[in-house]
Amino acid sequence: MNPDLFPQLNRVIHEKGRLAIMSALAAAPELTFTELRDLLDMTDGNLTTHIRTLQQEGFVSVAKSYQNNRPLTSCALTAAGRKAFAQYIDLLDQIVRQSRSK
Amino acid sequence: METKWAVDNLQTIRTLMERSALYRRALAPIMILAGIIGIAAGLTGWLCRNESNRGFVCLWLVTAVISLAGALLLMRRQALKDSEPFWSPPTRRVCQALLPAFFVGLVMACLILAFSSGSGGEGLQHLLVILWVLFYGCAVHAAGFFMPRGIRWLGWIFIIVGCALLSSLSLGAQWVDQMQPNLLMGGIFGGLHLAYGIYLHFTEQKTPTA
Repeated sequence: MNPDLFPQLNRVIHEKGRLAIMSALAAAPELTFTELRDLLDMTDGNLTTHIRTLQQEGFVSVAKSYQNNRPLTSCALTAAGRKAFAQYIDLLDQIVRQSRSK
Repeated sequence: METKWAVDNLQTIRTLMERSALYRRALAPIMILAGIIGIAAGLTGWLCRNESNRGFVCLWLVTAVISLAGALLLMRRQALKDSEPFWSPPTRRVCQALLPAFFVGLVMACLILAFSSGSGGEGLQHLLVILWVLFYGCAVHAAGFFMPRGIRWLGWIFIIVGCALLSSLSLGAQWVDQMQPNLLMGGIFGGLHLAYGIYLHFTEQKTPTA
């Protein structure tokens, strides 16, 4: 196995919770905070912390609006986030393929 | 060891991506169409004195087919407009969730068509209305797991209305017996769909994607 591949895995995405958020957002144009929380079974605080980290990295954009006079927070992957996620998946795939070919 | 970890991670990612792809087509026009068709069918059945069991079942089977065809056309139009596939994975999952309860409702209708006498029998029709309402509520609630969460509330409303009617019928409440079954169907299916459609029209986000 090529040991050089592991250090290339993005550390921000690699964390379990953040990887789950990135995976969920990769398949939908956008998800509300509530949808993400229910889907990933996370607490509000945990989800907020992870989203903030991803937002600071420029991987996730957060939009705040109102629906039925209630605040609505929507999250979506940015172009940089989509690219980083694709690279992460590609690296994982390479790791699997390399070890299987041996 | 590392390979297993990588494979597990890829599997988790795939599962999450599949689960997060919610069905997001605009439901307001579909609900409003179903509501109008339901109310029109109820009034037609009542005005035409459609009182036989077979006539009742036939009218509502035809109504269901027309509503379903209209809904599919609207969904297809939205998909084409957004340059997206009509038969997307979320659409497929919603249909799979609806199917079991719809199938049971259809079997009940077929049994009545096959074995019921052609004349009268409003008691059976009332029971059929209640069972259809309950099964439809269960179907909508099941589909709601792959759609925005509001749709599950509609499922619950159908289930609660069905349970209330069943309780009233069991307790011998006169008002249920006196209600013409076609009007009951039109009122519940048509009325609830129309009300929900109007609600969605004013609240739904205008960015439909499947």
